[in-house]
Amino acid sequence: MATVREKGYSHWDGHLIERRFPWWPITRTGIQLAFRKKRFKIIFAGAFIPSVVFLVGLYISERLEDFKTFLQGSDRLINISPKYFATYFTNDSLLFLIVLVLAFGAGGLIADDLKHSSLQLYFSRPLSKKDYLIGKMSVIAFFVLILTALPGIVLIIFKLIFAGSFKFFLQYPWLPLSVLGFSALLTVFFGFYVLLLSSVSKNARYVLILIFGVYIFSNVLYGILQGIFRTPYMLLFSVPANLQQAGAFLFGQTLPRAVPAVWSFAVLAAICALSAVVLDRKIRSVEVIK
Amino acid sequence: MTAAQAARQVFGFFGFLGRRTGKTRVFAILGLIPVVLAVVVRVFLHGRAGLMADVSTEILMVFFLQFYIVILALFYGTSITAEEVENRTLSYLLTRPIPKPAIILGKFAAYTALMFAMVGLSLALSYFIINAGRLGDPAVYGALLRYLGVLGLGILAYTAFFAFLGTILKRAIIIGLVFGFGWENVIQYFPGSTQRFSIVHYLKSLLPYHPANVGGGRGVALLLFRLEPTKPVVAVIMLAVITAGLLALACWFFRIKEYLYEE
Amino acid sequence: MTAVIAAASLSKWYGNVLGLNDVTLEIEDGITGLLGPNGAGKSTFMKLITGQMKPNIGTVTVRGRKVWNNPELFQGIGFCPEQDVFYEDVTGWEFLTGLLRFYGYAGTEIRDRAARALDIVGLTADKDRLIRGYSRGMRQRIKFAQAVAHDPSILILDEPLSGLDPLGKRKLIRLIKGFRDQGRTVLVSSHVLPEIEALTSRIVLIHQGKILAQGDIPYVRELIEAHPHQISVRSSDPRALAARFVGDPSIQKMTFGPDGRTLVVETHKRDEFFGRLTGVVLEAGIEVDEISSPDDNLQSVFEYLVGK
Repeated sequence: MATVREKGYSHWDGHLIERRFPWWPITRTGIQLAFRKKRFKIIFAGAFIPSVVFLVGLYISERLEDFKTFLQGSDRLINISPKYFATYFTNDSLLFLIVLVLAFGAGGLIADDLKHSSLQLYFSRPLSKKDYLIGKMSVIAFFVLILTALPGIVLIIFKLIFAGSFKFFLQYPWLPLSVLGFSALLTVFFGFYVLLLSSVSKNARYVLILIFGVYIFSNVLYGILQGIFRTPYMLLFSVPANLQQAGAFLFGQTLPRAVPAVWSFAVLAAICALSAVVLDRKIRSVEVIK
Repeated sequence: MTAAQAARQVFGFFGFLGRRTGKTRVFAILGLIPVVLAVVVRVFLHGRAGLMADVSTEILMVFFLQFYIVILALFYGTSITAEEVENRTLSYLLTRPIPKPAIILGKFAAYTALMFAMVGLSLALSYFIINAGRLGDPAVYGALLRYLGVLGLGILAYTAFFAFLGTILKRAIIIGLVFGFGWENVIQYFPGSTQRFSIVHYLKSLLPYHPANVGGGRGVALLLFRLEPTKPVVAVIMLAVITAGLLALACWFFRIKEYLYEE
Repeated sequence: MTAVIAAASLSKWYGNVLGLNDVTLEIEDGITGLLGPNGAGKSTFMKLITGQMKPNIGTVTVRGRKVWNNPELFQGIGFCPEQDVFYEDVTGWEFLTGLLRFYGYAGTEIRDRAARALDIVGLTADKDRLIRGYSRGMRQRIKFAQAVAHDPSILILDEPLSGLDPLGKRKLIRLIKGFRDQGRTVLVSSHVLPEIEALTSRIVLIHQGKILAQGDIPYVRELIEAHPHQISVRSSDPRALAARFVGDPSIQKMTFGPDGRTLVVETHKRDEFFGRLTGVVLEAGIEVDEISSPDDNLQSVFEYLVGK
């Protein structure tokens, strides 16, 4: 080790403790920053509306006698089955609310770092690119899982509580796995999707528009192509449609459109792969100015 | 310098800046999508002229009216004020001898010109590709001019609305998104006069209407689904009033409000 | 002398936070230094006098005219903001010529003025490079250039020397003094005390939104009679010198410097001490090498005033 001649400097003789999760401070800060925004808290609270609605549905299904006066001769208004859960997870409003929450809470995850040239600050610490991306992805995972896995498991638990027996669980023992599996798929997909778009610009407002715009445009494009070619395979252009196909498959339901689910999984995987390639190029500690 | 002269200088400066930014390139590339679709349609629907005409309305107007001009106007309209505050460049403008309304009007003019260039080029290219077999027919050009006019009025009205939002709200994007992709889509299904509380109602009132059973017009009817269309003259006047009124409000608010940078 | 910039009972709130607290101030011709730590209210004051914000209470005028919503005033005002921000993807030349458009100049005049401003700040060779490729110092200089390109009679400079290397600072200080010599009014803010000292002796001290003191440095110093003055005497026998003064009631404190030859004295009555020092030195036959006032500068004045 070369001698350092400056007065007052002394080499630190301590031992650097390797942290198991070096990305955890990034995740924690990302979540805290999201909750500092007032409007985000409102949007986040609003994103639980579908789960509350479905929870009420569960309650009604178990207390149909009390609601009989509102029924018109049918024995069961709401049939609770895996289809009920598939409907919750794949309905347009939940997916849209997830996009809304992520756009406002996570849109600036990489964009803000690019704007303030913070990547150099991150990578001058003992932090790898992988840790940085895991940290950022975990922020997204936090929000998505809270809106999907958590209400999903809570709905199952409340179903068992309202029913007063484990019959439902014994009938569909794979249901919790479907809930967790689809939640994981949404988490991974939206993680890559949001980080990809967040990395393409330093302007958080532009990124927000991109996150919405791409999501909505993909559906508009599907509608247009469907109108022209009249083939269900055009759904592969639509992000929400592909997610709905994948969700129906994971819940063992009939697919909404006559396209094998493997195609939808392939499209979602391709978007994730594209995102990984772009992120690998974009996340650098040194900015090259031409 | 008068306000008009100042607005002209602002127009020149921000027209130049707007052409330069990467985001304009991205939005211009987005405008190539209908051109690609037009080529695809031409290849696949070659020979079916009736279907082609309907499809042109379907493709172009769904894409342009329900998505492209809304997203362009949302970005550029809110940028009129928001980008100056976010990027902290507002100081450079406020410390020049130009009236504040000139900044709004000049940027509005620059960005709408830019948007119209992108939309116009995209529409014209895709329209000519789809109607390549009918280029000798003057009606084709008449229809194109009509569509360009509708989209031009749409750009002006939407940009004025989002510019107004941008001057009064710190985070205008969320309201803009809810309005542009929520309200504008949902309101058309409301009965009576309710749909007159939207910009898209007046734009659709200016479009030619194809009955649902002509060619492949099922999608067309859905796109142009409206209960009580407003007379075209009234629709143009309303769009002009909306544009002028919201711009005037934006100028007024920009003049009296102070904008603080976030620390 | 008529005030160029006048603030009367100026107060500004940011929500519940008081940015400026009842500031009454007149800025005259020449260079005035606005000095204060970060968060003192310097930028708030500058934004108020450049019409970017409006006061909650009080008035601010430039040449007797209110600033808020009065764009004609800016024909003669140049402002250099503190933030290191620019329009994206423009070169230095495009930045300057773009902003010069707003003054109503013809095309040739715009080009001439831009070229002159770039020459003043030494960026002519880099004018066609994108600003985002500029170094920190170059960015600071182009910011200064846009403030002076239209030959304003009043310059408001918010931390103009930040980010510059020592040579760059010297050049800019010379430039600013040159503007003063041309009869312009310059208001410069900084939290770096030697920078203000190098530019001007006329200062305004601001802290927590209030004006603490205003005037020439010696004048401000005189105001602080309660604060003891420090005088350093380097001599052949500091201890003998100290022994002569230990009984003097006006001496509050004496310390010896690490070099073993310096005696540092704190006294309320500086003039009286100097008078006695001459006699003592002659009587005792002590050789004095140097007499200085280590705290007769802005740093100590300021530290005392803000109670640090």
